[in-house]
Amino acid sequence: MTTTRRSFLKKSAAITGVAASSSLLSPFIRTASAGQSSNSVVFASGEPLTGNWDPTSHTILGQINFEGYVFGRLTQTPMRAEDPSAIEFELATSYKLIDENTLEYTLRQGVTFHNGAPFTAADVKATMEYSSQPGKSAWYPGQVDVHVVSDYVVRLDTSAYGYPASAYILLASFLPIMSAADVADGDALSQVPNGTGPFKFVEQRGDESVLVAFDDYYAGRPMLDEFRFAYMGDANTRVLALLGGEADIIERLEPEQHDTLLTKEGVRVNRTVSTENKYLHFRCNKAPFDDPRVRMAACNAIDRSIITEVMGAAGHASSSYVSPVKLGGGDIANYPTYDPENCQRLLAEAGFPGGQGLPEIEYITSTGFYPKTKEYGEVIAALMAEQGFNVKLTVLETAAWLERIYQPESGEPAGHMVDVGWATGSPEPDLVLRPMWHSSQSLITGIKDDELDAALDKEQAEGDAAKRLDIIADEFMPLMAEKVPSLSLFTSVLIHGVRENLEGAYFYANGPIDLSKASYT
Amino acid sequence: MAFVLSFLLRRLSQGLVIILLVGFVIFSLLRIIPGDPVRMMVGPMASEEQVEEIAAELGLRDPMVVQFGRYLFQLSQGDLGKSFIKNKSGASSAGGRESQGLDNKANVLDLIISTVPFSLQLAGLGIAFALLFSIPLGIAAGLRPSGIIAKIAFAISSIFVSLPNIWLAILLILVISTNLQWLPAIGYKGFSYTILPAIILAVELSAVIVRALSSSVTAIMQESYVQAGVVRGLSMGHMIRHHVLRNSSIPMLNLFGAQLGGLLLGSMFVVEYIFNYPGLGLLTINAVFQRDFPVIQGVAIITTAVLVLINIIVDLISAGIDRRLQY
Repeated sequence: MTTTRRSFLKKSAAITGVAASSSLLSPFIRTASAGQSSNSVVFASGEPLTGNWDPTSHTILGQINFEGYVFGRLTQTPMRAEDPSAIEFELATSYKLIDENTLEYTLRQGVTFHNGAPFTAADVKATMEYSSQPGKSAWYPGQVDVHVVSDYVVRLDTSAYGYPASAYILLASFLPIMSAADVADGDALSQVPNGTGPFKFVEQRGDESVLVAFDDYYAGRPMLDEFRFAYMGDANTRVLALLGGEADIIERLEPEQHDTLLTKEGVRVNRTVSTENKYLHFRCNKAPFDDPRVRMAACNAIDRSIITEVMGAAGHASSSYVSPVKLGGGDIANYPTYDPENCQRLLAEAGFPGGQGLPEIEYITSTGFYPKTKEYGEVIAALMAEQGFNVKLTVLETAAWLERIYQPESGEPAGHMVDVGWATGSPEPDLVLRPMWHSSQSLITGIKDDELDAALDKEQAEGDAAKRLDIIADEFMPLMAEKVPSLSLFTSVLIHGVRENLEGAYFYANGPIDLSKASYT
Repeated sequence: MAFVLSFLLRRLSQGLVIILLVGFVIFSLLRIIPGDPVRMMVGPMASEEQVEEIAAELGLRDPMVVQFGRYLFQLSQGDLGKSFIKNKSGASSAGGRESQGLDNKANVLDLIISTVPFSLQLAGLGIAFALLFSIPLGIAAGLRPSGIIAKIAFAISSIFVSLPNIWLAILLILVISTNLQWLPAIGYKGFSYTILPAIILAVELSAVIVRALSSSVTAIMQESYVQAGVVRGLSMGHMIRHHVLRNSSIPMLNLFGAQLGGLLLGSMFVVEYIFNYPGLGLLTINAVFQRDFPVIQGVAIITTAVLVLINIIVDLISAGIDRRLQY
């Protein structure tokens, strides 16, 4: 085949045209691996940070997750249903209960903070004495004095405050350890997160917090070079970001999104039974739920199997007031079940036969915070209506719902029933039981019940872990199932979407993710 | 010149009243709807005492008229206040019990100034795409209103106007970004992140522009002066280029004024939220969810002012094109 001048010019023009068009488009066309071009992980968080890095200043789950990368703890608890009490050592290497009010920790040597300061007993003392002050961290069981025995041995002393030191055994796995110098200088604590964790904070880029691998991490430098914590409020956007390569781990997925991601290549889904139970709380200090018979009638009207069906992958059936990954989370024998006959009997006994004479029941729930609350809220309202309750479902977006869930310091609480979950970072059951149902707090239900208080005080005062669990299981839980200040509907399941080739991540049951050993394969 | 001055004086004073009214309505609504901004700032576990202390410090418990008067005074000095949620670093921050008031918070004006360029880029590209598509199609359909192109244009604009932008955005992200991997979609790391959201805006705009332009061209073509021009020896092409298109542009300009408002206040906000595109829309929607009153108020005042100005400019240009509108 001969090449003429004309055909040469034609071919040249064609090749030049194709080359020019592809180079013109190249800024817009991206490669399939755009999201994995570096050894970096982008985590799309459904919740923003608080802007104050002091770990005692909040109870916000998003920030607790963030702290997991930056701060170290004395111990860690993997929190799996097979063994909720399992403890792994982190900044401590061992602990010993010296007596009822004294707990001794031996600390790891050779650990440094991100600012280069060595970790010693002084940091544990400063952290715990600062955080346990009244009105500080919500997670501490009470004040504690910490005695420094040597640079690497501390003793937690609760004798002055009237509760056993064993309360810290499980809690220590959740409390971030701060530097003593930062605690002394309050501004430093709130302005820069300085911990001993695997990743070090370097800068804030808008809604993205940028962390890099901490070279001197005690367990070895993480294999990932960079970790970015990005706030992305919308769940659909988070899914699309994962699928499009702009995020590598996403959280708070709806059940349908879980099912969708299962069919997609290049990503996988991680389900973790969480420490959070979802409750239907009754306002026990307001009619008609100030009568336990009406509360029980409402519980008997609700078929929880329908709710777990609605929740799909995001719910785990459980019949207890605490999650199965927490101590004391086993199913309760006398837990209320769907029983329309008993419901009608109790309503009649309480003076409301067939629901006649009951006031309108306002049921407050949220949308956009937890998965499927509106959907199963409608199921609950319909099931209760079948038994004669006149339920008005009020679905509020997060800001309005947050304003209404807690008992006010004076006056009547909003609504009659409230949908709220309670997640904590430790297998310690008291982190749920006391804030919810002890008269001294009773944050949502407003219940004041001497028998429940006595059972809770008894288990807290018991130093022996096994006996304490028996008190919870045999005395407190059956009482709760009888008095039903709340109905635990199910245990939440944390659903994360993850890039398929990101291996070695450990998902804790309260939300944080350990990426210290994670890498791309 | 006298016309221009009296026109501007009249319309600007009317505009000022509109801005104040819109400002007051937004200001009042924010304080009536449920959701305490201080609770969002300090988190659910903060005591009522602490909430009330911060609320009093921010003046949120003063009578509404007092609050609005104070806001207007600040506004007269060019101060839109400080965000309740956004820090100076640009990060959203909410829920810390030991909130330090507004010391570390960003100025609303700075937040708006930092996000407006992104929104202008998106809106500009969206309008450019829409015009590139709509002008040839609208003119061709208008010139032959019973022809096949007019039928196609009608069908396309019917489909475009019926497509919900949220659905279309998710679909395009899935197809173009996730499956084909041609364009990035979520967030912003460069100009290419503007293309997909701009296409969504263009689809919505095109539906309206195509219909408006085609009917405007059809109406002008039926004017007697068009036939008269041809009878007097001017070619039809000359008449279309120099007379029909010029006169068709007046309703288009008016439409454009209204559509820019739609872009700023409507679909662009939704599109920015879905794409996590860091413009004024994302800032505003997050501010609504987080009850960031100063940001919502600031955005409302500024967008209203921009809309009023656009409409004044459009009316002024229309009067310049068709002098009959001056009387």
